[in-house]
Amino acid sequence: MNAKEKPQASPATKPIRPGLFVERPRPLLLGSQCKETGKVFFPAQRMNPETHTEGTMEPVRIEGSGTLYSFTKVVRGLSGFASPYMLGVIQLDAGPSLIAQLEGWQGLALKEGMRVELVVGQIKQEPDGTALIGPKFRPVPA
Amino acid sequence: MSAVYVIGAGMTNFGPAPDVEVHELAREAAWNAITSSGVDPEDIELTYAGHAYQGQCFGQKVLMKIGITGMPIVNVENACASGSSAVYGIVNAIRAGEIDIGLAIGAEKLSGRGGGFTPLVPDDLESSMGRVMPAVFAMMAQKHMSRYGTTLEQMAKVAVKNRRNGSRNPYARWTDPITVDDVLSSPMIAEPLTRLSCCPVSDGAAAVLLASEKVARKYTSRPVAVLAAVLTSGKRTPHGMVDDRSEMTVRSAEIAYARAGIKPCDVDVCELHDPFTIAELIHYEDLGFCKPGEAGRFIDEGRSEIGGDVAVSPSGGLMTRGHPLGATGVAQIAELFWQLSGAAGDRQVPGARIGLAHAVGGGVTGLEAGACSVFILSGT
Repeated sequence: MNAKEKPQASPATKPIRPGLFVERPRPLLLGSQCKETGKVFFPAQRMNPETHTEGTMEPVRIEGSGTLYSFTKVVRGLSGFASPYMLGVIQLDAGPSLIAQLEGWQGLALKEGMRVELVVGQIKQEPDGTALIGPKFRPVPA
Repeated sequence: MSAVYVIGAGMTNFGPAPDVEVHELAREAAWNAITSSGVDPEDIELTYAGHAYQGQCFGQKVLMKIGITGMPIVNVENACASGSSAVYGIVNAIRAGEIDIGLAIGAEKLSGRGGGFTPLVPDDLESSMGRVMPAVFAMMAQKHMSRYGTTLEQMAKVAVKNRRNGSRNPYARWTDPITVDDVLSSPMIAEPLTRLSCCPVSDGAAAVLLASEKVARKYTSRPVAVLAAVLTSGKRTPHGMVDDRSEMTVRSAEIAYARAGIKPCDVDVCELHDPFTIAELIHYEDLGFCKPGEAGRFIDEGRSEIGGDVAVSPSGGLMTRGHPLGATGVAQIAELFWQLSGAAGDRQVPGARIGLAHAVGGGVTGLEAGACSVFILSGT
């Protein structure tokens, strides 16, 4: 490969996994909801694992608002991850919870129970420079 | 149903073995178990081989090196509980009357995979997004600290105790003593867990031979009875892996105590799953050695020391012996076999009669964890 063929300037970005989130017009998570029980699942499920029922799940876009249940600063992360990074357990208002990275936490006094909102940002960088993007959460100071 | 006995055990030194292939590590452990028991290799009727990352037909590749081929071999993956799941398979086959002699092997080689962490599991969502195990346990530590007032010093004492125990174990990864200050001042990994609050990544293998009541005493005058072998899996939990207790450890232990007909206070020696210091404290409570919230005081008072209420991890545990994922669960049963047959050398727990082994494995988005095993063994 000569210099001219090398990928230029703006690095490629790629979702960390397909079907997980949408970024526009605003970030939302892609999950599923049981039309019988109303329960929301993230990531999306093809059947309701709580009632062992198939055929009751419908795709749903999940609001990314929630609270921070717990968090820790990962000082020594794995290669590809920009260390240190902040990891948290997010309790979504819509029901599901997930462990995800925080964004914009630097300089903030994080507290359990504080409000967070979904953003889409870089989770990690692949060895070829591709940025893998996905759901992250930004603390919303009270 | 036949009673089941452990009649032999073997392992390799745990630690980095970059130049030895993993099948060779497992061969060494299996051969040590076979020779220590006096079993003719041709009399082994079934093998279960546990590992997390070592590829297809692992057990076959190990046993062909010894020259025993053709038997049924089951290869088991249950993350850090792979080895104990292998033992579980053999116990059940003997109980069912299918076989009289079976071999359980656990092995892992992590050297050469880079970094100080267990590899991420790319097909698990949270893992692919950076949920490394130290971070999960760091958050569990914070929950336990905020709910019960557990201190950093109390957590550090786990590492100090297990290092002291492991320094007498010739198979252990680490042997030099450490202090609470050493643990607290070692480099931060995930707040509040420092490097010395985490078990070292290691290579290694362990193996145990199990036998039915009919044949056990042909091989040893001191077989170790398996009173209970319990394997469970994690349930969906509200906050995934992060909690101040392990529900599946509680559940597994309750079943195991009931089957064995004993109480937690009857356990003399325990090989406990301690990948991180906080895990040991939480599991004191889960296993019923103390009440919820009392683990900090339990270690302060020395009640988990050799000579205390229950000697927890005389081998040094994962923290000091090392944690080659698939090997760990089998190494725990090997250690209990030695302890309960009075063959544990300098680290012998005096008068140990009842032993408990506890392993937990696997990070799965949405579940507490993948698998949990609790074994209760008794000297005879």
